[in-house]
Amino acid sequence: MAQFLLETVWLVPLYALIGGLLAVPWSPGIIRRTGPRPAGYVNLIMTFLAFVHSALAFPATWNQPAYQVFIPWLSTAGLNLSIDLEISSISVGAMIVVCGLNLLAQIYAIGYMEMDWGWGRFYSLLGMFEAGLCALALCNNLFFSYVILEILTLGTYLLVGLWFIQPLVVTGARDAFLTKRVGDLFLLMGVLGLWPLSGTWNYTELAEWAASANVNPTLITLVGLALIAGPMGKCAQFPLHLWLDEAMEGPVPSTILRNSVVVASGAWVLIKLQPVFSLSPIVSGAMVGIGAITAVGASLIAIAQVDVKRCLSYSVSAYLGLVFIAVGTQQDEAALLLVLTHAFSAALLVMSTGAVVWNSITQNVTLLGGLWSRRPVSGLAYIVGILGLIGFPPLGSFWALLKLADGLWTTKPWLIGVVIAVNALTAFSLTREFCLIFGGKPKQMSERSPEVGWQMVLPMMILMSFTLHLPLILQSLSLLPSWAELNKDVALLLIWSSIFGCSISAVIYLGNVPKPIRLPWKGLQDLIAYDFYTPKLYRMSIVLSVDLISKLADIVDRFVVDGIVNLVGLASIGGGESLKYSTSGQTQFYAFTVLLGVGVLGIFVTWPYWGNQFLDMMLLSR
Amino acid sequence: MQLQYFLLLAAALFCIGIYGLITSRNAVRVLMSIELLLNAVNLNLMAFSNFLDSTAVKGQVFTVFVITVAAAEAAVGLAIVLAIYRNRDTVDMEQFNLLKW
Repeated sequence: MAQFLLETVWLVPLYALIGGLLAVPWSPGIIRRTGPRPAGYVNLIMTFLAFVHSALAFPATWNQPAYQVFIPWLSTAGLNLSIDLEISSISVGAMIVVCGLNLLAQIYAIGYMEMDWGWGRFYSLLGMFEAGLCALALCNNLFFSYVILEILTLGTYLLVGLWFIQPLVVTGARDAFLTKRVGDLFLLMGVLGLWPLSGTWNYTELAEWAASANVNPTLITLVGLALIAGPMGKCAQFPLHLWLDEAMEGPVPSTILRNSVVVASGAWVLIKLQPVFSLSPIVSGAMVGIGAITAVGASLIAIAQVDVKRCLSYSVSAYLGLVFIAVGTQQDEAALLLVLTHAFSAALLVMSTGAVVWNSITQNVTLLGGLWSRRPVSGLAYIVGILGLIGFPPLGSFWALLKLADGLWTTKPWLIGVVIAVNALTAFSLTREFCLIFGGKPKQMSERSPEVGWQMVLPMMILMSFTLHLPLILQSLSLLPSWAELNKDVALLLIWSSIFGCSISAVIYLGNVPKPIRLPWKGLQDLIAYDFYTPKLYRMSIVLSVDLISKLADIVDRFVVDGIVNLVGLASIGGGESLKYSTSGQTQFYAFTVLLGVGVLGIFVTWPYWGNQFLDMMLLSR
Repeated sequence: MQLQYFLLLAAALFCIGIYGLITSRNAVRVLMSIELLLNAVNLNLMAFSNFLDSTAVKGQVFTVFVITVAAAEAAVGLAIVLAIYRNRDTVDMEQFNLLKW
């Protein structure tokens, strides 16, 4: 049975796709009588099927070698494109995570989207995302990974733009699409540049090729830089990070999926391509640099936000920066473990804050407070989310961060400082949000804030228990790094940094420090609160130059290109208008022109008989 | 060498006719210029007939026809001038530029 399920596990993306398609008919324009709810239920059933299928197939993959499936797609002269699937415990495991999180997000959305008519659109897009992510997990081919990433970029545009009546949603969706698109286009350049070098897009064959490749270092550096640009946009890394901030305008349930899984899709491709990146030390260095800048910058920005969703989105950028560092230092396993543990904790945090936002209306943490006594479930979920995300033993991310830091201990010790700093800063920012939302005294917006209904609490509880059990599950699969081999000093540093961050934050935000807190340097506070003025930076550099160039091109097109063509027409009109005066109306003039024509023609025809003699005569007479 | 002189005389007459045809303002004088042209042609025909075809004299036959046609043409031309004169009360060629662009 398990073997049969394993052999058909490539059907899992299709379930989600069918679920997404089945949701479409309940769009308000098509089925008008039933309301939109069946769209969600249908989608939920298909996601559940996909989850069960991949979960049942998982034991059969365990300790088995990965096997490959090749589905021919297109065969032209000199190019055979086949959809390569790899069915291994990692890919099936990733599908379980995607389907499971989507299942929880969809149950959550049943509660959250209760007052919304757009279920058909919303659930079909969630189904599309699940299908794309599962297909990406299975796909073992760089080309088709790119195809899926692009489809997901379109999906992000549509999902962020769900409530397109709001102007900020429209601009956010635009930025999310264009920013990710730019990264994807660079990725396409890298994908195409890799083909003549390696002759394959299959990840396994690429790894084999990279093991013994002898290529021009400049060339592979450029290709590698293009290849990291795609995941850089996808994972909201510096400087392509603004879109994630603006994508927080979308509905919360989709944010669950985005914060946990969709941004990780870039990291997945990055991890798969790690053998290629390791060919060039510059590319690895760039990855580490980008990751470190993003991790530190984003965790600083997260501290200075007042919008609860944006606080979390910058933490996501920071943790994916750590994934970049892990891949840049050739630690695939640490990167995968970090992606996994981060996915659960980030999803839990978004669910918890979403539940608060749902019936406290405001997203501004400075307007919330004192919810702990009345919202213990959301509060507990938030605490577990914090502890699961920062280095707090024995929960998941501790082991991932430990593994990462342990690998850095001998090679690049200064990066441990980055990891510790990010951990402490994230602990600070998450505890700050907890204290502002759940601690202190109730404010006007949170005076009456009941706990949410079971549709939102249930997935939160399931995910909370799963986050708590994650270390046990990992241990039973013997995926945790063994404690005996690890560096205890790093572990202590991590734990201390977590405690340090949490306790300082708690003291500041629960203690008698006057709020709102002002840094002594207002400029610095504004700088990080406004995301280092990234929107202005974009507008002053890329947007401005593209805008100016396009205006210039428009002017050239209007006046030069159009002008030349119009000039031809104008010249014809002018010629006709002026030459008509040759028809003077004078008969004698006509006679004159006739005679002139005859004369000229006569000279021309008879020139050979007398012309030269005439010329000679003229010359001689001079 | 006599033929050339006839031809040169005829050409000179033709050119004088042309000059008169193009520059005259009086419509009757234009007709007169046309008569000059025709007569220049007749001179040509007679000269060719004499010097090149003295037996069959086809040129002389042509000349007779040209004189006949020229008479008819002058008659019709004068009729046209009269018709225009009746309407416009003038025979000035520069007043007859109504059919322009």
